[in-house]
Amino acid sequence: MISFDLKLKRYDFSLDVSGEFDDGITAIFGPSGAGKSTLLNCIAGSLRPDAGRIELDGGVVFSSVDAVWTTPDKRRIGTVYQDGALFPHLDVQGNIEFGYRLIPQAIRRFDPLDLAEFLGLSALLARKPGELSGGERQRVAIARALAISPGLLLLDEPLASLDAARRGSILNYLRRVHAEFKIPMIYVSHSITEVVSIASKAMLLRDGSVVGFDRPSALLLRAAALGDVIATDPAAEYTRAERFENILDGVIGESTGHSTMVRIGDLEISTRRQNRNPGEKIVVSLGASQIILASSMPQNLSARNIVKGTVAQVWSSDGLVFTQVDAGPKIIVEITENAMTELGVTVGNDVFLVFKSSSVDVFDA
Amino acid sequence: MNTDISIVALSLQTAIVATAVTLPLGMFFAWLLVRKEFRGKFALDVLVSLPLALPPVVIGYMLLWVVGNNAWLGQLSLSWFGSTIAFTWFAAALAAAVVSLPLVVRSFAAALAGVDPKLETAARGLGAGPARTFLTVTLPLAYRGVIAGVLLGFVRALSEFGATIVVAGNIPGRTQTVPSAIFTRISTGDTEAAWRLVLVSVVIGIAALAVHNWLLRRSTAGQPRSGSSVGRSN
Repeated sequence: MISFDLKLKRYDFSLDVSGEFDDGITAIFGPSGAGKSTLLNCIAGSLRPDAGRIELDGGVVFSSVDAVWTTPDKRRIGTVYQDGALFPHLDVQGNIEFGYRLIPQAIRRFDPLDLAEFLGLSALLARKPGELSGGERQRVAIARALAISPGLLLLDEPLASLDAARRGSILNYLRRVHAEFKIPMIYVSHSITEVVSIASKAMLLRDGSVVGFDRPSALLLRAAALGDVIATDPAAEYTRAERFENILDGVIGESTGHSTMVRIGDLEISTRRQNRNPGEKIVVSLGASQIILASSMPQNLSARNIVKGTVAQVWSSDGLVFTQVDAGPKIIVEITENAMTELGVTVGNDVFLVFKSSSVDVFDA
Repeated sequence: MNTDISIVALSLQTAIVATAVTLPLGMFFAWLLVRKEFRGKFALDVLVSLPLALPPVVIGYMLLWVVGNNAWLGQLSLSWFGSTIAFTWFAAALAAAVVSLPLVVRSFAAALAGVDPKLETAARGLGAGPARTFLTVTLPLAYRGVIAGVLLGFVRALSEFGATIVVAGNIPGRTQTVPSAIFTRISTGDTEAAWRLVLVSVVIGIAALAVHNWLLRRSTAGQPRSGSSVGRSN
C-alpha cells in the first residue's frame, strides 16, 4: 500500500495531490501536462517534492516535516518507462540481471531466467536492445523491474510507443504479472481505453490536482469528469491525445451467431460475440475516428450499427472536427474539416452514426 | 640523439601527469555542466573554457602568481617538500593541464550529453547508487568520447609551450620539453636537430588525431537505432 500527500512547484506548474492506493492496479490518468509523470517520479524518488509525505508499505520514504528522503536506489520500486529505457550496452540477460545483482540475496523473490521465460524472452537473452522489437523491449523492461523483487511497480505510459497490436499483448502480460506475483501497480496513461481495461481504481488528474478517484468506468462516466471537460474546453483536452475513445456504460444482451447485442441506455448496438452472460454490466469503448457520420439514412451497408441522433455540440481542433451526437448516450465522432463542410452539419441537425461491430470493444465494468 | 630521447621522455612524462590531473577534474566539471542545474553554472563554464581564449603566456604568468617562489602555494610546497613548484617539471605538467583542461571538459561534456539521462534514472531505480550508475551505465556508454577527450588533452599537453616556458622555464634536462627544445635549437641555428623533434611532434600529432577521429566516428555509427522495431514480430 502506498499513501502520499505532496506539493511541488516548478516554474508555472504546481502539483498538489494526495491519495492512498491499495495493492491492486491503480491508474493515474489525465491529459498531457496534468502532472501524472511528475507524481510518478516523486513516488519513484527521482524527483523530490517541496513538501509532504510519502509512505510505502508503512515505511516513510519522504517526509518534509521529519526531513526524511530515501534515494531511489533504496526504495525498491520497479519502473517501466514508455520506451523501455533499456541499457543499450547490455544484452537482454544483462538488463534483467542489472538490479537483481544489487539486492541482498535474502530478499530475492524471482529468478531472472524464470522471469525471462514468463515474459517469453528465453530465446532473446543474448540480444542487444537495438535488435529487439518495441514489444520485446517493453517485456524486457517489465522483467528487469520485477527482478529487483519490487514492493511496487510503476508503469509510465508503457504502451505509448507501441502499435495497436502490441498494446493488447503487453496489457495481457501486465495482467498476468499482477495475477502471478501480486505486486501492486501504478499505471500512468492518458489513454482511457488502457485505464478501463487494466486498472481496478483510477485517479484523474487535471492541472496538478486530483479531480476524481474511483472505479475507472464510474469515474469516466461521471458527467463531471467527461461531459464537463468537453463543454468547457474540448480542444485543450484532445489535441494531444492520439484518438478519443467514447466510453459508455452498457449491459450485455442476446448473442446470435457471431455477434452480441449490447444495451447502452435505450440504445442497442451490435458487437462481436462476447463470452458473457445476458444482463452482465460492461463498459463499451468506441473510437471517435471509427464512426462514420451521415446526414441522411444510409442504405445497403455492411456495418451493423446505424444509430440516429441529434448534433449537440461541434468543435474543431488541429484540422479535425469533433461532433458530439445525442443518441440517447452522447457519442463523440471525429471527422475532417472537409467532410464537415460538405455535410453542412450544425447543432440541432439529425444525423446517423455508422460503425462496425468490430469497432466496439467491451470491457469489465 | 640521447638528448632527443630524454627530451621526448620528459615531454611524455609531463603530458601523462597533466592528463592524470585533467581526467578526473575534466570529468567532474563536464558532469556538473551537463547533468546539474546550479547557480554559477554559466560562470563555471566561462572559467573552465578561459584558457582556450587566453594567450598561453598569460596562463603561465597567472600560474606563476600561484606556484611561484613568493606565492602561497610555492611557499607551502617549499616548507613541505623543501622545493618550490615553479621551474620544475611538475610546473610544466601543471601548465599543460590548465591549458588542455577546456578541450578535455568539452570532449567529456559532449560524450556525457550523448547518454540519455533516463538510463541513469533507470539504473538508480534498479538499486544502483550514483557512483555505480556512473561506472556501469554512463561511462560504458560514453567511453569512446571519453578516450577521444583524453587523447585530445594529451596531445594538447604535449604541444604546450607558452605557459610552460613562463612557469617552468626551458632548463635542459629538467624542464625542457619537445616544443621548448625546438625553440632553443631554432634560435641557436641548430636546424637539423630542430627538424628531428619537429618530425617526432608531427608523427605523434597525426597518430593521436587519427585515433581521436576514428573513435568519434565509431561512437556515432555504433549507436543502436532506438525506436525502430527493425521489422521483427513479437
